[in-house]
Amino acid sequence: MTTSDSVSDAGTGVEPKVEAAESEIRIGVFPCKCGKNIGAVVDIDTVAEYAKTLPGVVHVQVNTYTCADPGQKEIQEAIREHNLNRIIVASCSPTMHEDTFRKTVKGAGLNPYLCIMANIREHVSWVHQQDPEGATTKAKELVAMAVAKATSLVPQPELDVPVTPSALVVGAGVAGMQASLDLADMGYKVYLIEKEPTIGGIMAILDKVFPQNDCSICILGPKMVDVIQHPNIKVISMAEVDEVSGYVGNFSVRVRQRARYVDPDACTACAECIEVCPVDIPSRVDQNLTWKKAIYIPFPQAVPSSYVIDPEACLGMDLLRCGKCYEKCEQHAVIPEDEDKIIEFEVGVIIIATGFEPADPKKIPRLGWGRYPNVITSLEFERLINAAGPTEGKLVRPSDITKPKSVAIVQCVGSRDIHTRMGCSNFCCAESVKCALLIKEHYPETEVVIYYQDLRMHGKYFEDQYHKAREEGIKFIRGRVGEIQEYPHTKNLRISVEDTTHNELLLVDFDMVILSMGAEGVAGNVPLPISVTQDKFYIESHPKLRPVDTSSAGVFICGGAESPKDIRDSVIQASAAAGRASIILQRGRYPIEALSARIQQDICSRCGTCVKRCPYGAIIQDGTGRYTVMGALCQACGTCAGDCPKDAIVMPNFTNEQIFAQIETALKENPEEKIVAFACAFCSYRGSDLAGVSRMQYPTNARVIRAMCSGRYSVKFAQRAFELGAGSVLYSGCHLPADCHFQTGNHWMAKREPRIRNWMKRKGINDERFRIEWVSAGEGKKWQQIMTDMSEIAMKHADEIRKKRTAKSKGKTKGGKQAKSKRSPKTQGTKKGKKKTTKTKRKKED
Amino acid sequence: MERTTDADRINEIQHSAQPCFQCGICAASCPIFRVAPDFNPRMAVDEVLRTGTVAMTGREWFCAYCLMCEERCPMEVALSEILIDIKNLSANDGKVPPSIIEMMDVIRFTGKVSHASKRTEKKRRELGLPELPKPDVDEVQTIFEMTGALDRLMRFREAEVEPE
Repeated sequence: MTTSDSVSDAGTGVEPKVEAAESEIRIGVFPCKCGKNIGAVVDIDTVAEYAKTLPGVVHVQVNTYTCADPGQKEIQEAIREHNLNRIIVASCSPTMHEDTFRKTVKGAGLNPYLCIMANIREHVSWVHQQDPEGATTKAKELVAMAVAKATSLVPQPELDVPVTPSALVVGAGVAGMQASLDLADMGYKVYLIEKEPTIGGIMAILDKVFPQNDCSICILGPKMVDVIQHPNIKVISMAEVDEVSGYVGNFSVRVRQRARYVDPDACTACAECIEVCPVDIPSRVDQNLTWKKAIYIPFPQAVPSSYVIDPEACLGMDLLRCGKCYEKCEQHAVIPEDEDKIIEFEVGVIIIATGFEPADPKKIPRLGWGRYPNVITSLEFERLINAAGPTEGKLVRPSDITKPKSVAIVQCVGSRDIHTRMGCSNFCCAESVKCALLIKEHYPETEVVIYYQDLRMHGKYFEDQYHKAREEGIKFIRGRVGEIQEYPHTKNLRISVEDTTHNELLLVDFDMVILSMGAEGVAGNVPLPISVTQDKFYIESHPKLRPVDTSSAGVFICGGAESPKDIRDSVIQASAAAGRASIILQRGRYPIEALSARIQQDICSRCGTCVKRCPYGAIIQDGTGRYTVMGALCQACGTCAGDCPKDAIVMPNFTNEQIFAQIETALKENPEEKIVAFACAFCSYRGSDLAGVSRMQYPTNARVIRAMCSGRYSVKFAQRAFELGAGSVLYSGCHLPADCHFQTGNHWMAKREPRIRNWMKRKGINDERFRIEWVSAGEGKKWQQIMTDMSEIAMKHADEIRKKRTAKSKGKTKGGKQAKSKRSPKTQGTKKGKKKTTKTKRKKED
Repeated sequence: MERTTDADRINEIQHSAQPCFQCGICAASCPIFRVAPDFNPRMAVDEVLRTGTVAMTGREWFCAYCLMCEERCPMEVALSEILIDIKNLSANDGKVPPSIIEMMDVIRFTGKVSHASKRTEKKRRELGLPELPKPDVDEVQTIFEMTGALDRLMRFREAEVEPE
């Protein structure tokens, strides 16, 4: 590898340098018998003898159990005694013990990334049990490949970056508040950003909350006060995140705070101003059911407890145009010259709790919302039944302010529909049952019918609530409402719905209809490179095992921003996110991926392809046009390097040089019979391991080369393999579309297929000799099948080559070549025969 | 009740009906179901899914192909196509109602479904629109013969059923 000293020294610890190999390579090889696991099939002593002949190898030592304590000690002793600087352990899969041996060599003072493994158990002894000779040959070649790779291994720095002990929480709904409180109680500084004039989110405007039907603001209000009074929390209301730069532990945040025109510290919320304000505008908090003034407080319990002026509605705060509030305010809290503010600060972690929006009923015109006044949404109902709402808690029809005698509740509006949102909104069923119970509580004589599709009362205590609703005489009818029509004079409504349990069309009249609105995602409103689902919710790092982490290190999600959820779930998830975030904050330093990409600036042509490939936004352009990798963001997938036209990107331990060395070594002997198989570390390689663990037998001609991600497989790898005469080449990755551990690597790899195939066409290489496959970690069987199929392809190709050779050599001398070609078909035959016997054996066992 | 079990067709219908989750929005929107409680598009889909057969009651011919069900289906099930397929199955079983046979005949002999009235022609002249093209009846006949429609028509007529 060539050295590149042009890498910047600015920001040390963020952008690791490209290192050069030391001059004298002293490789130690440690073949392992793994008891009988390897030793019973592979002739380890032959492998050891062979290893001694390889260039650079100065010490070879066979062990029965290398991973056991004595085995590890032997490695450490050998390193000291023979001054070894590269270690190869030929034993099991690197997914099993690479970490173990890295720690071992680190214990002997060697850089851990100078230790690699040759997988002669999962890839050899367990899958070629019937062919010891072939297995031994394969094991020898795998060791040789590892030695070839080890020659150019360089020490990798184990760096970490400092962590700023503060957090940014975006969104001050119940989730954001909970996360902030948790982190603040742990002692970290929290910046809580809210775009509305008050914190509290959707929960603050609800009346009662299920399943116990306790008063929403009564439980939320004290929490809101806790937040604003907490010494560690800085609430920035009416603000949105403008820009986030940096990386985990060191985010620089720029926030834009809109002008409030009222000094929140001076305002006492005495309400004298609203008496003089001449402007009426619809009240958004009250779902436009009533009016508010241009100077207003969202609701009495708002935090910060301060009025705010809507600059678009206000006539003018100067005395010339209006200025009545300015004149009236004894506290002099009105600031006509107030301006938008830019606030900048540094944080170590970010929690996104931006929540969701209620679904838009205008998108479903068949239900008549907006045209028929008595069709209301569930949130409008919340305001009508709320004692602090526009009707002071009286449920009335908006058309004539009379009490409805019959109310229908329509489920699944804006959810579970391809045209709006495919997913279930999770909370609407319980919400509707709560609404029905509230109506019954206030007006027991009202007829309430819920039209549901599937009533999903899944949470704790939800069934009790449902039971209560049944007891109260609320009717439940299974069927999705087709349409709602209005009687023009009475403004009553007629709904048409099929009672699907009785296969019967119902045309029923109601005084009022409540649409149970689902949720709509708003993700993507924070300037961070986090993937978003089609319906605009943030995608977690892993749906089961890392549900609050994101693909960006140091950024966490919780609450409605992740998926629609109720209050309880939001709070649970918020605490989880705070807990995860505190792990980073508490450590004080964050380790950088040691194998992160490095750009060799003297080769880089500044094309910027890598920026588009990086799923983590880890590659940035500095002011001078240079591209640099932010080590703390890079996850080492290598997708950037796979498509770098100049090969300017170095992926440590998976460099082009190392992979080419592996290909060349693998194809040194009988290349036409070989399969060069590339497997990604997280899916395909584990799939191949599973084939080994499950003892699924396949032919011995595959040589697997591991990379972190299929995105790393450059077009050049296949080209080089074919140039050297490989029988067949396999690119294997995680399943499309969404299985990739690094999000998009497999997509970029798939896009390279046409280029490879066109190249093969030009070179006259049979199309079937190259394959792209998607193998998951659970598909050992598929791996076996692919290996068997591709082996046949390679063997077919080898036969053709042999025929050509004999045809050529007939004209010349009949020599050693013919003898060689005689041998190969025979071995092939025996292989096939053996394969069949093992298969029949397996069947019998089954 | 007679049931058809034309396996391939049924499989096709079943496949396109699989996303259906029986919400009933199609039935609630169907103008025919309002007046003919025996014709329920949801049940038609449900039956194919559940039993793998299609009931031949003659009611499958009620569908007016207004596409309201398909328009509102939250799962985008191709209901109208399913209902047409069911009609085709019914036709293969010789259950074509006389009115449909009559309509086929009208097309065969006149080349069009409905006759353009004198008033239409007058109106078109007034609006300066070109005269409606005269269908080539011989061509239509040939099409009928070559596509096998004529054979089908003859078979339908043999099996003609009296309206229930």
